[in-house]
Amino acid sequence: MQPNFFNHLTLISAFELKRGFATRKSILPLVTFVVVWYFILLHPIRFAAELLVQEKELQAEFSFFDLIGFGSIQHWPIPEFGIFWHFALMIFPMLSILLAADQTCSDRERGTLRFIVIRSSRDRVFFGRFVGAMLIQAVWISAAAFSTFILALTRDTSLLYFALPDFPILVINLILVVLPFSAMMAALSAKVKSARQAILWAILIWMFLAGIINSLAYYLPALAFLKCLIPGYQLSDMAPLPGWQTLSLIYIPLLQSLFLLTIGRWIMLRQAL
Amino acid sequence: MSSRIIQCKQLNHVYSGKAALTDVSFELDAGEPIGLVGPNGAGKTTLLNILSGFLHPTSGIVRIFGHSPGAAQLIGKVSALPQDARLDPSFTLIEQLVFYARLQGFSSQQANLEASRVLEIFALKDAAHEKPLTLSHGMAKRATIVQALIGKPALILLDEPTAGLDPVNARTVRSIIAEQSSETTFIISSHNLIELDRLCQEILLLENGILQTEKPRVNEKQVTSRFITLQMENCPASEVIAKFSALEGVLQVTNPQKNEFIVEYNPDLQPSMDLQLMHCIRANRWQYRQLNHGKTLEEKLFPSDS
Repeated sequence: MQPNFFNHLTLISAFELKRGFATRKSILPLVTFVVVWYFILLHPIRFAAELLVQEKELQAEFSFFDLIGFGSIQHWPIPEFGIFWHFALMIFPMLSILLAADQTCSDRERGTLRFIVIRSSRDRVFFGRFVGAMLIQAVWISAAAFSTFILALTRDTSLLYFALPDFPILVINLILVVLPFSAMMAALSAKVKSARQAILWAILIWMFLAGIINSLAYYLPALAFLKCLIPGYQLSDMAPLPGWQTLSLIYIPLLQSLFLLTIGRWIMLRQAL
Repeated sequence: MSSRIIQCKQLNHVYSGKAALTDVSFELDAGEPIGLVGPNGAGKTTLLNILSGFLHPTSGIVRIFGHSPGAAQLIGKVSALPQDARLDPSFTLIEQLVFYARLQGFSSQQANLEASRVLEIFALKDAAHEKPLTLSHGMAKRATIVQALIGKPALILLDEPTAGLDPVNARTVRSIIAEQSSETTFIISSHNLIELDRLCQEILLLENGILQTEKPRVNEKQVTSRFITLQMENCPASEVIAKFSALEGVLQVTNPQKNEFIVEYNPDLQPSMDLQLMHCIRANRWQYRQLNHGKTLEEKLFPSDS
């Protein structure tokens, strides 16, 4: 029986998941992330959460977080989640560029992609690899959010009732936040020769796109809608939103991803392997 | 097997303004291995890449079993050994072969059995749990050939399958091609004309991206004259040519390489020319290494002037 599109999507993404967690190459980034995240969790998140709790207990008139521009953290029922949200919005898009940079490029340069494409199709490989990259990031995001969840419970176990509904919101939201970044890397990876090139191009394109569109919008305000094309455009608007309200802007990363994946697929179908 | 497997019509491919293939048209039937020869840069790899679906032609039509290259209907039916392609260094051989078998539609258990089967063919079972970077060049090359055999495809495209292999492994590859050619059609691109001479009944010759219209067939019978190729031990070339030329029915004797002679003769005048040549060699106390009816593939494709 001929395997269909979804069979191949599952097989290819599962193989990528194995690459992301069960190969020697995956150990170094995993260990680095665990160590870095441990220090973020132990110091900034725990310290800020304790400070917030103290401020609430003292019913201080002015908050330290208002002064540094993070006043919205106070709207989160679990302070740890509020701080995690701000850190995650900065860290995970950058991590996404690094983690999703090599979706197809090094395999194409090595010729390995030919062994796969002859048994599948360019479409299946492109989307399978993208789904694989998203699954890896989903695991990283879930693990980071879960560690924050545990940190909050170790401080106060009675927070479980409030923490449970916020946990999936955080995870789903962050997966959607990194979606367009991964789609951008899928498109770049289909064209360039190495992960390093893909990362450099991503930084250049992102900065030029942001610079050009912002300049255009400054002189011609009617073109301000073009800002929607910049991956992460909604992040500054999302940061102050608490809980379920953060999902109000998800249409932006979804549309961006759709646009970038269409471009990526177009490149992949025309590219010599 | 006698069904049409490949149809190419007016195939053109241009790389940065330079024509790699020009109006290549041919049709191939399933059957004995088919050789693809030509000098470096003739377009052999480009043609195989187009047939495998790795490259889109600039213009022209290609059909493999009636489908476009890369079509889902060809999964498991067509396989390839691309030139210089390497396996993923992050995974073991068995992991990759099982993955490829799964993509071809094998269940998890069947895929394991199939991967073991193809590894066994090339005596690579002991290296099944090794990663490609730990293998020698020859073993890594064999491992890439192994992947092409998964699922016994109906058509296998091999680009330089024995390049870089030692003589023993090159012979193994040839014997596997010969063994499997009853159920699989092989298209083999190679510079090794002796190898193709042994394996292939049909040869496609590409020169400067143009397919030579007269396809030389190894077993083609000459209508007016026939040839015998003789490999001699050290001997006086001019004397050999003179003595052979004096035999009845001999039309021409050439000496393309040292100690190699091609005798063209009229079979109507001398049907047993091989025996006449043997008598001549014995009478003159020369030694010969090999006598072949017909010309070598090299002489057929690239005839020498002498």
